[in-house]
Amino acid sequence: MNAFEKIGSFASARLRTKYEILAITASVLKSGALHLRRGRAVTANILFRQLYFTGFEAVPIISWIALILGLVIVTQTLSILPRFGGEAMIGDILVWVVVREAGPVFAAVIVIARSGTAIASELGSMKINRELTALEIMGIDAMDYLVMPRVIGTALSVIILTFYFETVSILGGYLLAGFGKSVPFSAYTASILEAMTFLDVAVSLLKSAVFGLIIGSVCSYHGLMAGQSITQIPQKTTKAVIGSLLSVFVIDGAITFIFYM
Amino acid sequence: MAFLIEFRDVTCFTEGGRVVFDRINLNLSEGERTLVTGPIASGKSLFIKLILGMERPATGSITVLGTDTSALTLNELRGLRKKIGFIVEDNILISNLKVIENVALPLLYHAGLSYNESIRRAATLLTSVCYKGNPWEMPGPLPLYVKKTVAVARSLALDPRIIVCENLSEGLMPSENAFLSDVIVGYQEAQAGRMAVFTAAAGADVSRIKPTRVVRIADNGLVETAGA
Repeated sequence: MNAFEKIGSFASARLRTKYEILAITASVLKSGALHLRRGRAVTANILFRQLYFTGFEAVPIISWIALILGLVIVTQTLSILPRFGGEAMIGDILVWVVVREAGPVFAAVIVIARSGTAIASELGSMKINRELTALEIMGIDAMDYLVMPRVIGTALSVIILTFYFETVSILGGYLLAGFGKSVPFSAYTASILEAMTFLDVAVSLLKSAVFGLIIGSVCSYHGLMAGQSITQIPQKTTKAVIGSLLSVFVIDGAITFIFYM
Repeated sequence: MAFLIEFRDVTCFTEGGRVVFDRINLNLSEGERTLVTGPIASGKSLFIKLILGMERPATGSITVLGTDTSALTLNELRGLRKKIGFIVEDNILISNLKVIENVALPLLYHAGLSYNESIRRAATLLTSVCYKGNPWEMPGPLPLYVKKTVAVARSLALDPRIIVCENLSEGLMPSENAFLSDVIVGYQEAQAGRMAVFTAAAGADVSRIKPTRVVRIADNGLVETAGA
């Protein structure tokens, strides 16, 4: 195999992986929309478990990170702004940094670290133990029963955690602005509301929904790609994390470019 | 008697291209208890996969419950599989569900029953197979026999007309094998329209089931010997 063939083979394998991940996402959306009635109670149960684990149980860590980030942004802003036009810009900067970028990206990264790894390793373990075969034998579609509720649950969790992150971060910023620098709460909120447009909120929602769907799909894909050996579970989990992080940053760049350039 | 499973001129190959079945024909009727025997790698697992539509024959047709499986889509095949109670050799239970939830899973997914009703029925099924453990424990650490007992209860959850049992005696003590054989035979005999198919390496492994037909896999074909 010469160098061109090797490059071609590598590119072809990468493209096939991307195609299969997108196929999982499409299948999940179709399954969620068309087959929701089939196995509704048991699928809904898995969806709620996923929401609880990915969404609710992530609240403490999300709260700390959002609070600290809000404090850091306001500290930096207040240290720089007197030179560039005053503290009235604090709202603009919080919206630019937290709502447009940090909220969706930080929520996605935390979900990858906590739940993406769990999804990949759990599905990998089930695949190796032939539990997917057991489901097929019982006439249960593994995509409907295992993958769809996990991906939808992850997407809903990322959306909720993103807006929670943004709220806590903005409130965290006020802790410093209000109590440290005596900025009135009404002035602080007015500054933020004036800076925030519908587009900012819509793009934040779009980013978080797409990130959630992609994280769920990438992690499910790599979990389901586990073969015969238990040593493949950590390998696939690592691939799931790297693949999810890369996808999140690439999609973040693409969406930002489309809406703000 | 109606045929529940029909093999018509079925030819099948392994992935490597070796012929496993060469134009085999077999009719299995309601009320029958059939034992399929053969040495390791003779094609017993393939025979079961053909019934479940998990493998397709190269030529010929397989009809299960009046439906030609080769004409079915994957979703239609899943619909057919839920009508067959299959007890797989390595008795795979779903690891993230508790014992009772494993038994309730087909009821929840296919029968559309509420969680409470499914659990109630699953508890009855576990009692019927004399499950003595805690139904709310995870199945991972359970001994092989107990896992197999749970797998039998799960396979009966949707009241299937066809029971397929793969190498039941594998890894079991004779008394455990005898008890589970009795449970399955008792279920099959309880209603006239039901049938059961067992596979085993040798007839002595499952003598307790007293098969009405014994079919041996030999020379890429099926050889029928006398039943009970």
